[in-house]
Amino acid sequence: MTHPKRTGARLELKDVTKTYTGHGEDKHVLDHINCIVEPGEFLSIVGPSGVGKTTLLRLLTGLTPVTSGEILLDGKRVTSPPEDLAIVLQEYTRSLMPWLTVEKNIELPLKLKKIAKEERRERVQSAILEVGLEGNDSRYPWQLSGGMQQRVAIARALASRPRILVMDEPFASVDAQTRLDLEDLVLKVRDDFGITTLLVTHDMDEAVYLADRVLVLTGKPAHVAAEIAVPLGYPRDQVDTRAHPDFGRLRGEIYQLIRGKR
Amino acid sequence: MLALLRRFLISSWLVVALLLFWWKVSANSENYFWPPLGQIASQFKANWLFTNVVDDVIPSLKNLAIGYFIGAPCALVVGAHLGLSEIAQRIFSPLVNFFRSIPGVALVPIFIMLFGIGDESRRVSIAVAVFFPTLIATIEAVRTSDAVLLDVSRSFKFSSFQSLWRVRVPSGAPMISSGLQVSLQVGFIVMIVSEMLGAFRGLGAFTVEAQQSFMIIDMWTGIIMLGILGYIFNVIFELIEKRALRWYRGQKGLTT
Repeated sequence: MTHPKRTGARLELKDVTKTYTGHGEDKHVLDHINCIVEPGEFLSIVGPSGVGKTTLLRLLTGLTPVTSGEILLDGKRVTSPPEDLAIVLQEYTRSLMPWLTVEKNIELPLKLKKIAKEERRERVQSAILEVGLEGNDSRYPWQLSGGMQQRVAIARALASRPRILVMDEPFASVDAQTRLDLEDLVLKVRDDFGITTLLVTHDMDEAVYLADRVLVLTGKPAHVAAEIAVPLGYPRDQVDTRAHPDFGRLRGEIYQLIRGKR
Repeated sequence: MLALLRRFLISSWLVVALLLFWWKVSANSENYFWPPLGQIASQFKANWLFTNVVDDVIPSLKNLAIGYFIGAPCALVVGAHLGLSEIAQRIFSPLVNFFRSIPGVALVPIFIMLFGIGDESRRVSIAVAVFFPTLIATIEAVRTSDAVLLDVSRSFKFSSFQSLWRVRVPSGAPMISSGLQVSLQVGFIVMIVSEMLGAFRGLGAFTVEAQQSFMIIDMWTGIIMLGILGYIFNVIFELIEKRALRWYRGQKGLTT
């Protein structure tokens, strides 16, 4: 199976600020967030729960408008969900269509984009192979385990040939073993396609294990506490990488940042 | 096979017992209004197997089918769009709530005035009565679509038309289906009542005519026929629903 190599998209956050108004008092969630994600880079976004990670994700996927500042994807301002972006959400049971089979779930976005049947089938099959879902084409999502369902969501995202993949706590609701498998799957996907990847997580180990760089958000309203480069190199290994002295050091550093400013 | 037989026995023994009870108790009945079930049964055979079916049953069912397949799809389309817009819901909800409160059968005389006593007035009455239960269920189903599913639709850049018909309506199908079932039951009732008010043929006309001419046994056969038809409709509806919503039952872990 050959994968058409694509270049990832470049994402730029400029002074991104978000304030929710209405419902009583205004809620200032994000304060002047600045960050550049280079094409093909893997960026993890961590922070204590409730800090505004999901809000940031909603802003940069165009699902929610920014209050001020701007988000640029390849230099183009994001005001609605961009064509080249695909998302994978935590709640796989709610993000897949339970009335469609695995194959039809992956196919639906392509079908609605009026992509020809031949190409659709090819894309769906290659996405199924990529995430290791062979033989499950005609099963329904609810017949699969959580990990498998999340693979379907990843395959659906990949089939639309995104240049940037954004994931919100994608492995938070699966068991530990499955989680490790899915982490490695995401690394493989990034490697195969060269797409820019953003991962929102509250798990510091996961953030470090996967990323080129970790963005740490803290405070109320949230701001960037630090951008930490992860010089661990690729490919990564669940045993060796996690045993590396740098891994422990980075993890500790992030832990301090999050704990210290809580 | 044995399990199937078991299920059949469980769901039918009570009916059989009641029929036997009725048969026994009414066997020597002298009461004009409560004739022996044996007499009703033989008259039923004479009336409905299958002489009057073409004259009285088929026209009734045709009216029901036409009314239902006009009213219910209209309700689906209108309800789906109303469900999308909060403002439209606010504008139309007083109207909808007013008309849904009027029993469908109460509208029959109005439509007879408007369309005469022909089949048109009956079909229109059925279509209007069928409209509201499906409408209300569809509005609610579309309105309460899962936010996560809608985020996903937006992220894949589905148009609002696509996300309505490819996401909101299918995900609300279980709720819409309950509306369709209530509509079918209401349509059935209006079908009969509309025939009781000034029709020359049809099951309702047959039954009410028999009653008014004191042909009590004929009346009973009409009532039983109505019961059987209503029952069959419900069974057919549930079979179709069970197939179409297999995913829903599977997802909920329901086995029956």
